This record gives sequence, C-alpha cells and structure tokens, in this order.
Amino acid sequence: MKLKFQIVTPERVVFSKEVDSLTCPTEMGQITVLPNHIPLIASLMPGELVVRHQKDEEHIAVSGGFIEVRPGNDIVILADTAERSDEINAERAEQAKKRAEQAMQQASTLSKEEFAATEAALQRSLVRLKVAKKTHRGHHGSSDGILNQ
Amino acid sequence: MAGTLEIKRRIKSIKSTKKITRAMQMVSAVKMRKAQVATLASRSYSDLAWQIISNLSSKIDPKYHKLLQKPESKIDPKKIGIILITSNRGLIGGFNANLNNVLKKYVEAHELVAEFVSVGKKGREVLARTKQNIIADFPKHDKTVGIKEIEPISEMIVSEYLSGKYEKIVLVYTHFVSTINQKPVIKQILPFTNTNHQKDLPMTTSDEHDKSRPLHFEYTFEPTPDKVLEHLIPRILESQIYQAILESDASEHSARMIMMKNATDAATELVDDLTFAYNQLRQANITKELSEITAGRIALE
Repeated sequence: MKLKFQIVTPERVVFSKEVDSLTCPTEMGQITVLPNHIPLIASLMPGELVVRHQKDEEHIAVSGGFIEVRPGNDIVILADTAERSDEINAERAEQAKKRAEQAMQQASTLSKEEFAATEAALQRSLVRLKVAKKTHRGHHGSSDGILNQ
Repeated sequence: MAGTLEIKRRIKSIKSTKKITRAMQMVSAVKMRKAQVATLASRSYSDLAWQIISNLSSKIDPKYHKLLQKPESKIDPKKIGIILITSNRGLIGGFNANLNNVLKKYVEAHELVAEFVSVGKKGREVLARTKQNIIADFPKHDKTVGIKEIEPISEMIVSEYLSGKYEKIVLVYTHFVSTINQKPVIKQILPFTNTNHQKDLPMTTSDEHDKSRPLHFEYTFEPTPDKVLEHLIPRILESQIYQAILESDASEHSARMIMMKNATDAATELVDDLTFAYNQLRQANITKELSEITAGRIALE
C-alpha cells in the first residue's frame, strides 16, 4: 500500500509521487503518516519534512502550511514555501540566518509585527540550513524534524 | 509621377506600424510565456485548496468558523460583491469588453445589485464610466506578484462579507484555457457551497476520482477545528484570488500576443498589396511616357 503524496506551494508543485510514509512537523508535534491514516487536517509548523520511499529519503524544508490526509491514501500538503534539500543553497541559507540573527539582536527596537516576521525568517533559515546539511552528509542524519528551539 | 508618391508614403507608414506591432508581439510573447508558466504552476495549489474547502463545507459544523455561517443582518438578498479583474493596458482586442459583457449579462439576468472591487485599470475605467458603485480599487502590478500582495484584498472582502452587506462574493476574471482561447468566468468564492465546482471550469487536478472516493467520512483536526480553520480559510480565499489574477495575466498577454500577431500579419499583407499596386502604377506610367515619346517622334517625321 502506498501513499499518493503531493506537496504544493502557491508558486509550484514541489514534489508529487507515491511514497511509503511521511513525517512532518505539525502544531501538535511531529507526526508520521502511514497508509490507511484517518482523514486529517492539521497545521504545519516550520520544519523538516521527511518522505520515505523504500530506502530513499527525501528531505523538504517547509515554512508552515497545512496537511490534508484524504480518504484513499491521498495526502496533500499546502505549504507556504517548500524546498527540497538539493535545491537549497547552504551558503545563502547561512547568510540569511546571520541577517536574521542580527535583526533579532535589535529586537527591542522592532515593532511586534517586525519581530514576528524576523523570528519567522530566522526559523526558516535554520530549517533550511538543517535540511541542506542533510544532503551534504548523505541521507542518514538524525530525523528529529522539529526545530530545537 | 502621379499617384505613385502617395502609395509609396502609405507603404512606408504601414511598414513602420508593422515594426511596432512586431516588437509588441515579441514583448508579449515573452511576458505570455512567463505568465503561463506561473499560472499553470500555481493551479495545483489553488485547485487543491478549493477541493479542501468543497470537501469540508458540507461536512463540518459551521460553528467552527464565521465564514462557514451565513452572516446576519442582511439588507438586500440581491446585493452582491464583485471582484472584477481586468488588464491595465489596452490593445488586446475584445479582452476586457468580453469580460464586461459577461458581467453585465450576469448582473441583469439575476437582477442583482452589485458593488465592485476593481483590480486593473481598464475595469475601473468602465465601471466609473457606467457609474457603478466601486467600493475599492486595488492596483494591478505588471509583473507576477507573490501571494502576500493579495492579503489586503482578501482581508477587505472577508470583513465586508462578514458585516452582512452582501449575499455573496464573486470573482469575475478571464480564465486561461490556451494561448488562443481565454474564457471570461464568474466564480463564487463566498459563501462556500459544494455545488460550486463550476462545470465550465476545466480543473487540472482530476475531478473524476473525487467521485470515486467514499463520501461519508469525517476529518480529524489537529489541534482543534477552529484553530486550523482560522488559518486555513483565509489562506484558501487568498489562493483563489491570487490564481484569478494569474489567470487573468496569462490570458491578457496571450490575447495581446495573438492580437499583435494578427496585426503584423495584416500589415505584411497590406504592404504586399500596396507594393503590387505601386508597381502596376509605375509600369503604367512608364508605358504611357514611352508611348508619348514614340507618338512625338512619329509626329516629327
């Protein structure tokens, strides 16, 4: 039994394939979806999504969105942004992280919205870095998909 | 040489017009390709999002989200809000006119009292000229924008709808079918109804296996229905408006590209015809002069 899995962002279809299982960070914690899951709708948190198919693992960095598990092993993820590990430029992610960290240091001068936006940016870049590192080491890193906050 | 000069001038002017239309055709073709790619790429998202809401709206208790309920204090059941998405520029043939005709027919057929939110200059101009009630105008950007830019539109629509002013909210835009075929559509986005899958709208994600699915199932929500829906529903609305704008963009550039291609082709034909006429006239003049000279010589002998 396989899962029909697709992950889409407003800009494109990131990944669409049959898979064995999928692990993603939701608001309630990390969940793994296997075949015959009950219909579910949950919010995603920024983090790392792991898709398993036989021996292959694919890591995808997401920055929030929704997962819908439909009856018939049909899984749809509507992500705000999503990048496969091989698409992430580690250098750029590192720079983005530094920028966000610098901005966070001036937290006292930021408005509430700006603070939230910067924090989200920092989280995103952390996730991307983490996912990016995974490809460079091969696919056998730890799979604690949720951010260590 | 009588007449030839006039034709020569016309050929020259048509040739320079042709240069312009050809340049516009090239520019539109590039924009068209970009807009088409963007439209097709994001169609999956908006289709899937719309499927979720169609799946949900019939199954879920309306108490979990205010947009699932009918707003109270209705003034007039015929009053609707229309988001009209048109282009900023002209020279697209019947692109905007077609949309306006469809809109007019729709409003008249249902005897609706409509208020408008316009996106795009051309639509706003028409609405202003026909003295329609425009409640808001959003600028349409010339290049493809991110979904973030849609937030203000969708927020405004939601708050207007919740205030109970409108029976429903519809999107009016041009749906992109192919480069040579674009279709004006009217799509209801609020309230959500699951009969809302318009038959005339081609869906990219397969509609058929929708039906083969078990119909009776309930979704589990994590953490809770109201929390998930609070984020999910605005996101879905945004994606619908976003997609409509992308569709309209792709349609606009495709239509303009085709129009400019037609204009260029017509100019080529016209230049050919005129060149032929010019040569005929020139030859006729030469023959005439020759015969005059010959006649003169004969007279002298």
